[in-house]
Amino acid sequence: MTRPGCGRTVLIVEDDADTRLALAEVLQDVNYRPLHAANGAAALQELRAATTAPCVILLDVMMPIMDGKSFRTEQQKDPALSEIPVVVLSAHADLDSAAEQMQAAGFLRKPVELSALLATVAQFCAQE
Amino acid sequence: MENRLVQDELSALRASAELRAVTDSIQDYAIVLLDPQGTVLTWNTGARKIEGYTAEEILGQGFERLYTAEDRTAGRPGTLLTEALRTGRAQDQGWRVRKDGSRFWADEVISAVRGANGAVEGYARVTRDLTRKERTLLSVASVMDYAIFMLDPEGIVTSWNVGAERAKGYRADEAIGRSFSIFYTPEDQAAGRPLHLLRRARDEGRVEDEGWRVRKDGSRFWADVVISRVNDGDGNLVGFTKVTRDQTERRREQEQLRQAEERLRLMIESVQDYAIFMLDREGRVATWNRGAQHIKGYSAQEIVGQHFSRFYPPEEISAGKPERELEVASSKGRFEEEGWRIRKDGSRFWANVVLSATRNRDGVLIGFTKITRDLSELKRAAEEVAERARQQSVASDLGLYALQTAQLAQVIERSMQTVRETLQIDDVRILRAGESAPPGARTVRIHAPEPDAEYGFLAASASRPLTPNDIRFLQAVANVLAVAIARSQSEEQLRLAEREAVEERGRSDRIQEALLERDEFISVAAHELRTPLTALQLKLQGLESSGGLPHPKGERLGAAVRQTARLARLIDRLLDVSRIAQGRVEMATEIFDLAVLVRQVAEDYREPAAQARSALELQVPEKVEGSWDRLRIEQVLVNLLSNAVKYGEGKPITVKLEEVGDVVRLCIADHGIGIAPDDVDRIFGRFQRAAPIRNYGGMGLGLYITRHIVEAHRGTISVASKLGEGSTFVVELPRLSRQAVAGRDPVSRAHA
Repeated sequence: MTRPGCGRTVLIVEDDADTRLALAEVLQDVNYRPLHAANGAAALQELRAATTAPCVILLDVMMPIMDGKSFRTEQQKDPALSEIPVVVLSAHADLDSAAEQMQAAGFLRKPVELSALLATVAQFCAQE
Repeated sequence: MENRLVQDELSALRASAELRAVTDSIQDYAIVLLDPQGTVLTWNTGARKIEGYTAEEILGQGFERLYTAEDRTAGRPGTLLTEALRTGRAQDQGWRVRKDGSRFWADEVISAVRGANGAVEGYARVTRDLTRKERTLLSVASVMDYAIFMLDPEGIVTSWNVGAERAKGYRADEAIGRSFSIFYTPEDQAAGRPLHLLRRARDEGRVEDEGWRVRKDGSRFWADVVISRVNDGDGNLVGFTKVTRDQTERRREQEQLRQAEERLRLMIESVQDYAIFMLDREGRVATWNRGAQHIKGYSAQEIVGQHFSRFYPPEEISAGKPERELEVASSKGRFEEEGWRIRKDGSRFWANVVLSATRNRDGVLIGFTKITRDLSELKRAAEEVAERARQQSVASDLGLYALQTAQLAQVIERSMQTVRETLQIDDVRILRAGESAPPGARTVRIHAPEPDAEYGFLAASASRPLTPNDIRFLQAVANVLAVAIARSQSEEQLRLAEREAVEERGRSDRIQEALLERDEFISVAAHELRTPLTALQLKLQGLESSGGLPHPKGERLGAAVRQTARLARLIDRLLDVSRIAQGRVEMATEIFDLAVLVRQVAEDYREPAAQARSALELQVPEKVEGSWDRLRIEQVLVNLLSNAVKYGEGKPITVKLEEVGDVVRLCIADHGIGIAPDDVDRIFGRFQRAAPIRNYGGMGLGLYITRHIVEAHRGTISVASKLGEGSTFVVELPRLSRQAVAGRDPVSRAHA
């Protein structure tokens, strides 16, 4: 599952700043290197600018400017990015079917249990 | 003796000479002597007149030629002679043929003529032309006979024939030598009638008489008598012939006819329904009956002698109609028509008139018979029937119009117009129930099925009196109106019901819309609540897991984590409701032991139950396996147990699980506040709660979600509850709610 060279970088794509920061804090607490993006378009920018591709993208679905689904479509079109796994993160009721539709590697329902978050992210990243 | 013989011969000679003279003079009868073979020996004037032959042409010829070809072929002439020979006389009626070939109807008597020694010397044939007589008289003629005999100048009988003997009853020897006055009645004798007639015959050559005569036995008969003067060659009177015909039968028939006529006259006079009267040839009234008086108003005294044209309207008189009718009756025999006639008082009546020409026996017009019948009543009745038919047709048309016209106002308008036009009346209107009719108006009730104050009566006013027909028509119109009113009433009700239905539909649409909005709101709200909760929970959990916070801050953090967890569960429930509402519940079934799950959840609630001072009693078998959605069944257990703890505070709680065939039954009973009967049905609805909210918190979603989870498992949930005594919830689940491969099947919409 873990792609070589990604290290412990995780891209968080979440429009709600508090949630984005909380996610980043708890991941940082356990020595992940979180990248931030407030929407799909910013995430694409971040990915193309990054020197190191993230091990996993935590992707919210409902966001302004570019939502999760559009981002996923763009990401899959870009060969440099399409291999990065995506975990869908949403409060949406039919999250599971949305995740399937977006060909996500997994999903986490908001509000996210810390333990579930860490276990999921750990699957895609190199161990310490 | 010799002298006597000479006398006889002389007498016979004279008689034959006299007879010839007599017969010659007779014009009305063909009197012919035939020899025993039927050869014509004598031919008189009457024979020439009737049969057409002169004496020269016929004398010496056989008499057969006087008969028709058919009769000759049938041997009729011979038959007649044979009969005369045998019985003395033969009588016949039938067609005879004239010289010119034409036929005449003859009354004929052939008598055998016998000599002194009794041998037949020939036959006397007397023929009378009856052609002109009516058939009814033929029967009279058939019984006629002729007495033919001679008188000397003083009226002494000098010859006698069989007919005379038959008619008068005297034999020849009894009659010859006696005065012919013995044949007359004593009254006629006393009046000198026999001599008077003889004198007239002598002076005038011929006398005809009709009257009573007396037979030998004293009986009377009605006789038709012709006495003719007989001259010798020098024109001197030698005597008379007398032909007497017994007319008793005819007389009797005439008498009967007269009586019949009298009866007819009386009958005609008494007839009331027909005016039967006679007009003379010029058209003046000759007779008058009671019916005529009744119908036309004139008495007989007033009208007899007046011209019948006064029965006609002036315009017809000036057009010459009465005269024309007489002409038609006269030429065609009969005239019939129906038309107006005038009574004495000037009023008119509709009459059937038959005018017949009346002719005498000779066909001469003597006047007219007129039969008039007053048909006014009949005509009126016929007109009434026609009027009624017309009104019925109009009423039917109106009914049809009312059926096709939804607008009551239009039906009323048309009804009023119809009444005005049909009855030709001045005013027609609809009266309200209590409204009084205009003076003189006739009213009929409008029988609307639902009494309607607006439409009580139909009132019609007319200057003429309204007939029963008119009233019937008004009632028919009123009935049409009643139906139209009833229809508009029911249509009004229908419209109201329709409007209500539309409003109801609108209301339920709005409710539906509101429900959808609420579902949408719940969905959005749950989503929006989760986002901040995610950040909060992550931070709290991050803090907690990093450890290192000293008491009491560590305890406070723990409480915060619990509260966010509870908040997360509430939001999950909201999301559940939202999913149920949108029909998006998905099931993940697996085979597991329900007994284990029940014991686990009950164990979780042992602490809260203890806090609520409720003993928790379990009646759970060792193992109850089945295929269900574990997480959702757990949700059901949690919901029901938390309710039992919440509402059954201080009272024992029983949890019982049992297997009943293919079904698993879970009963959770409390002995708490219970549910009012009115509330039982709605506690499974959304946001419903039986308990007052100030005492018991919660959003009222638990039982709603529980019901839908149970139903998604094709199970049932019910509650038995009594206010103040507690509630028992019973959940029954099929052991295998899904096929073994059952996965994520969508569940039917929660609204259904």
